[in-house]
Amino acid sequence: MLGIDDPQIWLAYILCFVSAIGCIIYGALKWNDDSDDGEVN
Amino acid sequence: MALSTPVLGVIILIYLMVIFYLGWLGYKKTKETEDYMVAGRQIHPYILALSYGATFISTSAIIGFGGAAGALGMGLLWLAFMNIFVGIFIAFVLFGSRTRRMGLNLNAVTFPELLGKRFQSRFIQGFSGALIGIFMPLYAGIVLIGGARFLESTLNINYDIAVLILTVIVAAYVITGGLIAVMYTDALQGTLMFIGMAFLLVFTYIKMGGVTAAHSALSAMSDLVPESLTAGGHLGWTAMPAFGSPIWWTMVSTLVLGVGVGVVAQPQLAVRFMTVKNDTALNRAVLVGGPFILMMTGVAFTVGALSNAYFYQTVGKISVVVAGGNTDLIMPEFINSAMPSTFVVLFMLTLLAAAMSTLSSQFHTMGTSIGHDFYREFIKKGELGQTINITRAAIAFTILASVVLAYILPISIIARATAIFFGLCAAAFLPMYTGALFWKRMTREGAIASLIVGTFSSLFWLAFVHKSEAVPLGISKAIFGVDTILSGTWTVVDPILVATPIAFVVAIIVSLMTKPTPQEHLDKCYK
Repeated sequence: MLGIDDPQIWLAYILCFVSAIGCIIYGALKWNDDSDDGEVN
Repeated sequence: MALSTPVLGVIILIYLMVIFYLGWLGYKKTKETEDYMVAGRQIHPYILALSYGATFISTSAIIGFGGAAGALGMGLLWLAFMNIFVGIFIAFVLFGSRTRRMGLNLNAVTFPELLGKRFQSRFIQGFSGALIGIFMPLYAGIVLIGGARFLESTLNINYDIAVLILTVIVAAYVITGGLIAVMYTDALQGTLMFIGMAFLLVFTYIKMGGVTAAHSALSAMSDLVPESLTAGGHLGWTAMPAFGSPIWWTMVSTLVLGVGVGVVAQPQLAVRFMTVKNDTALNRAVLVGGPFILMMTGVAFTVGALSNAYFYQTVGKISVVVAGGNTDLIMPEFINSAMPSTFVVLFMLTLLAAAMSTLSSQFHTMGTSIGHDFYREFIKKGELGQTINITRAAIAFTILASVVLAYILPISIIARATAIFFGLCAAAFLPMYTGALFWKRMTREGAIASLIVGTFSSLFWLAFVHKSEAVPLGISKAIFGVDTILSGTWTVVDPILVATPIAFVVAIIVSLMTKPTPQEHLDKCYK
């Protein structure tokens, strides 16, 4: 896959993108979620 | 270098003027102790994310680890994955939220203070502060050397003057503007780093004819791996090293696990969770932090490995050979020969920004650890007022220590500084920090035991067993007459993999054997 034969490497390559995209989705979903926020007064 | 020195000089001058402006803003906004120590707990999520990322990623992560990928291959992408998943997601979502709340509940302004107050122990705060104050200058030393070497080669100035310039500039805004100045400048530096690395990735793939073509070219070169590396288990730049081989152990234990997990217990990063006003800010920061780290280590490791294919196609040699055997030169050689000259300027700024952003946070953390945690809270039992001024003096003192270390220690030891510091932090702090946040049954005695056992087992392993540190340190040789007291695979297993589990076990056993923390105090911590 992607010119890389060893599955241990292309898995890492893909996981880098998946985890970064996961961070984006998580941040976007929680963007305005201020329930139980424990804010500083 | 292809670019004229005056042009680069002017660009660096403009950059430094903006840095000073941001430093001045920090100075103006700093009125209370909380402002100086934790940026008033009012930092914007974008600034938090970039500041965390830019502090996390130093020049050595790009040049040193990128060069390591040039030698060892794309297996290092597991570290990039760990950096994003553990270093950002787990750190912010699990540790960040609880750190912020507990820091606020206990009115803690530093990482050692958070631990000390959670376990009601000045010893924990003082010992942790001293540990950071003693070992972080070593880590700051390597970043300082990297930054100064950059100034030396790009501006053609004397190395000693480069060290002086870099130290004075960073010290000036850290001492006057505290953490606000550090984080504002980090955000600018992080932005420059992001742009620089994004260009690097795109240019590299274009130059190599696309993503798949570039990887295929590299995969086809596996028979070109030098014999010295194949003997250690190297199977090619797009393959993991042979399972259980020395290179596999180095990659998995020191790089992927050591640096990948160690980051969670880094004091200069953990303190940043206390700089925002609510959990929403932490969640928003995850959105920026994940892609930022992908662009840093993900790109550095990919490009580092791909440089082999580029050099093979252009000069018929692999990267390590082009760099004359010094892996630290792989990335600079590749950038200088493969990238357009205008990009070289941008990339020089990227590297300067990476060095300065890490250095500024190190200076701030060392100063607060010695000035506030060790001297004011532990030695003086919190009697003295004037936290900011004591911390300022301590920052100046620890900076001096870093500069002196950068001069007197041999490069073979300094080169291991990042790994030593990360490993030590993981063993000393991770069990205690995890317990402080997630395990109410953890007691003061359990925390102290894990701190002591973690610290000394880590130091013991690196001085007497782990070859990479034990040989240059020479302590084992001096006492026992042998380079390492164990042999075989043990000598390539990183201290973090031995000391951290021991410290965790000690923390659990001692906690269960001692009297639980009073409920009243726990209610205050976890409210």
